[in-house]
Amino acid sequence: MPISLIILGVVAVILVLMYNSLVSKKNQVVNIFASVDTQLKKRYDLIPNLVATVSKYMEHEKSLLTEVTKLRAEANKPNISDEQKIKLDAKVTSALGSIMIAVENYPDLKANENVMHLQGTLNEIEEQISAARRAYNQAVTDYNNALEMIPTNFMATAMNYTKKEVFEIIESERKNINVKELFNS
Amino acid sequence: MKTTSELTDFYYKTLYPVLTNLEEDRKQLKHRILVIGSGYTLLFLLIIISMKDIILNDMYMFIFIGFAYVGLGAIIYKMLIKDYTAEFKDKVIEPLINELDSNLRYSSTSHVSSNLFRNSKLFTSKIDRMSGNDFVKGKIQEVQIQFSDIHAEKRHKDSKGRESWSTIFQGLFIVAEFNKHFKAQTIVLPDSAQNSFGNIIGTWLQSHNSNRDELVKMDSPEFEKEFVVYSSNQIEARYILTHTLMKRLLVFKKRSKHPVYISFIGESIHMAIEYNKDLFEPSVFRSLLNYKIAMEYVQTLHLAIGIIDELKLNQKLWSKK
Repeated sequence: MPISLIILGVVAVILVLMYNSLVSKKNQVVNIFASVDTQLKKRYDLIPNLVATVSKYMEHEKSLLTEVTKLRAEANKPNISDEQKIKLDAKVTSALGSIMIAVENYPDLKANENVMHLQGTLNEIEEQISAARRAYNQAVTDYNNALEMIPTNFMATAMNYTKKEVFEIIESERKNINVKELFNS
Repeated sequence: MKTTSELTDFYYKTLYPVLTNLEEDRKQLKHRILVIGSGYTLLFLLIIISMKDIILNDMYMFIFIGFAYVGLGAIIYKMLIKDYTAEFKDKVIEPLINELDSNLRYSSTSHVSSNLFRNSKLFTSKIDRMSGNDFVKGKIQEVQIQFSDIHAEKRHKDSKGRESWSTIFQGLFIVAEFNKHFKAQTIVLPDSAQNSFGNIIGTWLQSHNSNRDELVKMDSPEFEKEFVVYSSNQIEARYILTHTLMKRLLVFKKRSKHPVYISFIGESIHMAIEYNKDLFEPSVFRSLLNYKIAMEYVQTLHLAIGIIDELKLNQKLWSKK
């Protein structure tokens, strides 16, 4: 009798440990996503200022500017899912990148103090977003691994956990950023 | 900054007259050490022979005599080379450092403050004794940097109350201003667990290191293979360790050829390079004109100052300018 009790006890402990590790992995993902979200918001807050400053000069890139403004409005809608946020982030990153490249064609804009300030701030936020994204991806990978690996996968199915998406790391982020060029331009 | 070959040229050309003088001193010193050393050893042998009945029967006495021989010998050796060492540092190391960059200040006797070393959190053992020399400090390309030789030790006491010392770290310790703002503590250590226990057990051991903050898994396989990262903030660790910086640290590690410990605390980067010997000391038994010996002085100095260029610490974050 006591032996079966011991076995039962051990099994119970293992189940509790598995349950807790899954919950902590899930919460890690949620926590880090919150930080990603804060950084993304910071960047969205820069957009109106940026658009206002550059629109006076940029005649040919009006569509780009409207697109960024539209994306920002979408991101600010309440109740959008994490997956949508991830997709919006990718679009905003590429749109802002195009705007910054376009700025290079306008010598007046390049020399504008406000634009230089915005560029600097944007660049710093981008670096923070990139770090947050990488942290999020690692947390999601740990979580997804637990969902697929034995024995936690059985527990995860029972708990109705589903796999989460990661941010795609944009190739340009892996490249060596020439800070000097960015700041001296 | 001057390249290593420019520095080597400086060593052999500009310093040549000084080196030849020193070389004479060195030869005389070597001769003196050999004579005094043999006399000293002979004296000890005579003592042992005259007291052989006591010494050979008593283990402790035998060990005591052995220690006394080594200890006293080391003190005599240090006394003998003291003037030569001072002259060497004055006439060779200091000019080399000034040649490297005129903004650098050198002191042959002091070292990086022990508080800075302790606060770097690179080593978790309690440091009971710290010494060091060859302190260099200055501002290069608007970046504050300082480094020196450091020897940190820990005291042990056995059951009989006898004291012994073990080395926690000996080598080069560098502190430089970092080019980004951060608040958390991030520590990068050589990956010994994963190398000796394999991936799964190694990672498990690393994540259960109670002396350290949370384990941070980095998204660069090459970097993960060489280093293990602990940080109090997952995101900030990645903010500091970008893909570019990870690559540069790997290159630096390869160049240094020794284990490298790195920490990012309080707006500074701390690096400890474990040589397990006192650096920038004059050679006594080999010629100062020996290429290998010259290169060691030049390369070590170049490596320490080179972190500013190599890790691009001068490319400051825009809001840090």
